[in-house]
Amino acid sequence: MKIQAFSTGSISESIVAFAQFARSHKMNVGIQETQDALTALRELPVTNRNAFKYALKPLFCTSPEDCKLFEKLFILYWDTSPVDLGPKNKTTVQSAIENNQAGSLVMMGGGENNEGVEDGKNVTGASEAERLRSTDFSKVTEIDSKLLEQIADKLFKEMALRLRRRMKDSTRNGQINLRRTIRKSIGYGGEAIDLVFRAQKPKKQRLIILLDVSGSMDKYSFFLLRFLFALRENFRQLEAFIFSTRLIRISGAISGNRLEDTAVLLTQQVDNWSSGTKIGNCLEEFNDRYGKRMLNGSPIIIILSDGLDTGEPELLGKELKKIQNRSRKIVWLNPLKGMKDYQPIQRGMKAALPNVDDFRSAHNLNSLLELENILMYV
Amino acid sequence: MADSNKNAFPFAFFAGGRTNEIDTNTIIRALEEHNYLADEELATALFLLLKLHKPILLEGPPGIGKTELALVLAELLHTDLIRLQCYEGLDINTSVYEWNYQKQLLGIKLQEGSDLSVEEKEKHIFGNDYLLKRPLLRSISATDKSPVLLIDEIDRSDEEFEAFLLELLSSFQISIPEIGTIKAIHKPFVILTSNRTRELSDALKRRCLYQWIDYPELEKEMAIVKKKLPGIEQHLLHQVVTCVQNFRQLKLAKTPGVSETIDWAESLMVLGYRDVNAKALNQTLGSVLKTVEDINHARQQGMEALLKD
Repeated sequence: MKIQAFSTGSISESIVAFAQFARSHKMNVGIQETQDALTALRELPVTNRNAFKYALKPLFCTSPEDCKLFEKLFILYWDTSPVDLGPKNKTTVQSAIENNQAGSLVMMGGGENNEGVEDGKNVTGASEAERLRSTDFSKVTEIDSKLLEQIADKLFKEMALRLRRRMKDSTRNGQINLRRTIRKSIGYGGEAIDLVFRAQKPKKQRLIILLDVSGSMDKYSFFLLRFLFALRENFRQLEAFIFSTRLIRISGAISGNRLEDTAVLLTQQVDNWSSGTKIGNCLEEFNDRYGKRMLNGSPIIIILSDGLDTGEPELLGKELKKIQNRSRKIVWLNPLKGMKDYQPIQRGMKAALPNVDDFRSAHNLNSLLELENILMYV
Repeated sequence: MADSNKNAFPFAFFAGGRTNEIDTNTIIRALEEHNYLADEELATALFLLLKLHKPILLEGPPGIGKTELALVLAELLHTDLIRLQCYEGLDINTSVYEWNYQKQLLGIKLQEGSDLSVEEKEKHIFGNDYLLKRPLLRSISATDKSPVLLIDEIDRSDEEFEAFLLELLSSFQISIPEIGTIKAIHKPFVILTSNRTRELSDALKRRCLYQWIDYPELEKEMAIVKKKLPGIEQHLLHQVVTCVQNFRQLKLAKTPGVSETIDWAESLMVLGYRDVNAKALNQTLGSVLKTVEDINHARQQGMEALLKD
């Protein structure tokens, strides 16, 4: 691929190649955009470099982030002369991005669980599935985990379907739909005999999920992610974030249908987890960067975390309070709560609790499925 | 469709009507005459809107003149502005068309004695006389020249409505089951605005020219306020704008936009203040900051910090 303007023969070719170049850097530039760019430049008297740039920019970009990337790519593509481009400094934006991603990996769901084997088997139940449903995620053996994934998929799907159905049923009565009623009345000579009702559209509850992927949550993260995928089918306005020492938005990543790919992607993006979880800082970042756009219309917030915080507890409490003020409900799911004799006495959890509406466990499948009840009556 | 518009390229404001010599500079100048300051980037986007007839999506924080731009553009082109304010739950009935039910009922009653067949009756009561045109339908049924269609705060509408817009924005036609398809004779100039309270769909964004408008720099903001309030003294102007610029650096619940700056400057002028002192601040802070927390937070900063360049 020709990645610099000088290597092309004509201006049209340059622009087409630039569109390809932009596309190769994950910008959403298709044939339509390229065509528009060519049309635009035929119409626009390009007098200087900026005029040219400003013409392409609104065509190629779709967000402020795009605009920043565009600026970089534009310089890289149009301003690099062959002289500057010796074999030594032949760097592209892509390689810079790749370097950034090379962080340490989090092994989601695949952590060591030697001592857990015994415990897992000791749980007695009526059947294999029943037993697994109430087994703590961290104590599931390698063999069982495949089976548990299957059960989880099935149950989560059923849950999503139930949620959908109940939404429909609860809205059976509505206003009279005059338009349809009159249409039907023509057959009776204008008398409205058959009344047609307009059902109220089910109001879609917005849901924001913050998933802790720090080292201590390792064994739970994968199942919680799976759960998140199931919820996504039902809540179209779902925003999801993962956090450890910093916050990463994954709403885009989970909108695809490939769970495994997403899990891999996440492990690549999360780094530095060994330095501990800073929940307060992550929530602060959430408030600053996304609060204004996402905390509109009282969404439900679900935080999946064990509350083992190495940051300042005061900050955690304060930021959580801010979120609570603007949300309908904060549900905190803590896998540790499933343990016998668990007391929320860690500093972080203690600071968070006053600002949490619902504090629940999330250590096994059953506890996750109980969430259905919360989500249904909101 | 583009052909029908080529000759009617509506720059009536442009002396002599030399329509082919429009460039970004003429647009900047024309906007300035209408008290709107635009930079080259925005002007280029507008140029493309006018030439390519592609909708333009303006994103940016509230109160920086996104809606204003549409108003000015309509004025500039001497054309109608059709405005659709989006909200959650906006549906086809309020945005595209609705039948005038009462009139239809009357129409049915009036026809009772006539010998018309059911089909003819139906045709009559679903005729143009009984149709209530809502903004989107009005925007594509203009007969003389292209109107400006402003779809304001699109991020507040539902995804369903967004999906419907896709169809309209790409083909500029609307289907009404009882009548048929109505196609635009003059494609409207479409301006969409969004505050980014939610992410818009990629499909919609791809059909639009994208333009991000951010808070202006000190000089530019001063120029804007000066344009709106020509009587303001330089000293007060500088203080007000500096102060607002500093507010934007604070972490506030509602960051003030340019329109708040103008409001504030106007309030100070009306009250007869010639500079921003502690008393003036106390009295008028409410016209620039809109929550108690923000006001308290700003007060804690102290006068010196707020007026620092």
